[in-house]
Amino acid sequence: MSIGDEAGRGRVARWLSSRAIFVVLGLLLLVAALVSDAFLQLRYLFNMVRQISPIGIAAIGVTWVMILGGVDLSVGAVISLSAVLCAVIMDGSTANIVPAVLVACASGTAIGLLNGMAITFGRVSPFIQTLGMGVAVIGLTQMYSGGTARGTVAPGFREWLNIRWFGIAPGLALAFILLAMLGIVLQNRTVFGRYLYLAGSNPRAAYHSGLPVAPIAIAAYAISGFFGALGGIALLARSGVSSTSAGQGLEFQVLAAVVLGGTTFAGGRGGVGGTVAGVMVLVVAFNLVNMSGLPYHVQLIVMGLIIIGASAVYSRLGARG
Amino acid sequence: MAVVPGANLARFRGQGVWLLLGVVAGIAALSAPAFAEWGNLSNVLRQASVLGLLAIGQTFVVAAGMIDLSVGLNAGLVVVLACSMSADGWSMLSVTLAMLMLAMTVGLLNGLLVTQLGVDSLIATFGMLSILQGTIFTITDRSVGSAGEALKWLADADIHGLPVSAIFLAAVAAIAHLVFARTRFGHHLLAVGGNVDAARRVGIPVVRIRNGCFLMAGLFAGAGGLLLAGRLGTGYPLAGVGLELDSIVAVVLGGTALAGGRGSVIRSLAGVLVLVIVSNAMNLLGISAFVQTFVKGLIVMLAILANRGSVRYR
Repeated sequence: MSIGDEAGRGRVARWLSSRAIFVVLGLLLLVAALVSDAFLQLRYLFNMVRQISPIGIAAIGVTWVMILGGVDLSVGAVISLSAVLCAVIMDGSTANIVPAVLVACASGTAIGLLNGMAITFGRVSPFIQTLGMGVAVIGLTQMYSGGTARGTVAPGFREWLNIRWFGIAPGLALAFILLAMLGIVLQNRTVFGRYLYLAGSNPRAAYHSGLPVAPIAIAAYAISGFFGALGGIALLARSGVSSTSAGQGLEFQVLAAVVLGGTTFAGGRGGVGGTVAGVMVLVVAFNLVNMSGLPYHVQLIVMGLIIIGASAVYSRLGARG
Repeated sequence: MAVVPGANLARFRGQGVWLLLGVVAGIAALSAPAFAEWGNLSNVLRQASVLGLLAIGQTFVVAAGMIDLSVGLNAGLVVVLACSMSADGWSMLSVTLAMLMLAMTVGLLNGLLVTQLGVDSLIATFGMLSILQGTIFTITDRSVGSAGEALKWLADADIHGLPVSAIFLAAVAAIAHLVFARTRFGHHLLAVGGNVDAARRVGIPVVRIRNGCFLMAGLFAGAGGLLLAGRLGTGYPLAGVGLELDSIVAVVLGGTALAGGRGSVIRSLAGVLVLVIVSNAMNLLGISAFVQTFVKGLIVMLAILANRGSVRYR
């Protein structure tokens, strides 16, 4: 086998590993369409996007943290906190919508900022830091709300985000798509995005080349907190009730989507585009489980199998490429 | 290894958990007088035994540079199945053997995913967590069956005033400590956790060691699940939820670096005691479960501070 051949195969493997999730999504949609023609209707597709938008929005921020080689396990707790804060401050009055959204976003960003500073300056393991932060934030949320659903959603808030714009796309779905596009632009067209990949693939080299590694990392965690808060607001808009445990366990679905999308725990690879595809794979798989009449909990088994399977495939491709 | 100033301090590295344990127990005794009564202390030991077993298994995995997020629900699956099998009239011996086999199979599966398919341990065991959760809920969504008398005895009885479960834990921990600190397997797993490439080059069978660690985690999750079944008395489907995090926190509190390469079974158990004493004291003081959750988060952060400066995970 010639050297050129080897290089060619490497390139093919790399191309595949960065696009594999789109192939998977296409195949899954094909299967779904064979099972039920509902999957061919634009309305149904947009409905799925709406259904998964809280997780999808939160996953955008987590993607960047993971490109850096970190992880954010506090995102589920941030989603809960943001939903509760938003509902309580709104208190059923339209005039309070803006302050409620602002406070929710600010608190999410502040939590992310704390994570980022502890991880960069304290040289703390991101896994444990965000895990502990998640537990503490869940406790805070429960103390704040007394453990029950509190606060009332203002009239107009849910309508605005759930109405079908242009007669077809729910507001939440549009918001997710817009945020994802914003994310892709930020990641591919800005200095911040470029630095993110550089610092993620080789932190030491990035540091010695004079890249502001610490500010980048702190910014990434802060953004992850911010998007987590947006996810919480989206969750509130979708369900209309602010339960304190609303976001519990969602961090796992978020991580699953990000890893599926090709952003590995090793960092330096992947991106928001893949994450969006990963989110869609999850929701299509969940809907397929539902349609086939299997009990709800089989979704969990399917999710586990998908996560392990996808990681195995990526690790194979990575080893060869 | 280079001789550096302060190298002597390395001996005390990770020993902070004893100080923490003393402080926590002192505060508990001062703020809640009922804490130091023997009846309550034996209760603390009883509460610590389930988590203690899980933490022992987790220590093996973490010291080898990996992580097992599935131990909690592995134990949870054992709780549900052991109780429904006992209620169906299976003998205690067959239930115990079947459950330990099952839990070890789950552990070995984790190991094979990591060693054969090259999946990161965090992801592999997280996927397994999801699968186990789905399996448990597919079996039942409410409490089923009832734990056999032998399991209830193991979990709740006393011998000469000492809880049987604590004696059991102490015996198991002594064996586990010997395996960890005095056998070839123990030395090899620390080598694998410290530097995989170096371990591979000196001829340590990395794949077998890693599988062995997950097998241990499965075995101890199974034992913890059986004990938990005895404590609860019935197959509660949510029994194991969250135990994986508690076990990791205990291990980290005990000074086992998440990066692998060092650790101690005994110190992990001290970490377990810290967690249990804190929650016991707060219960005695009538502090709400919500505040307790918050405090648990703070303790994790404390553990982080104690382990600061060690190499970060990955």
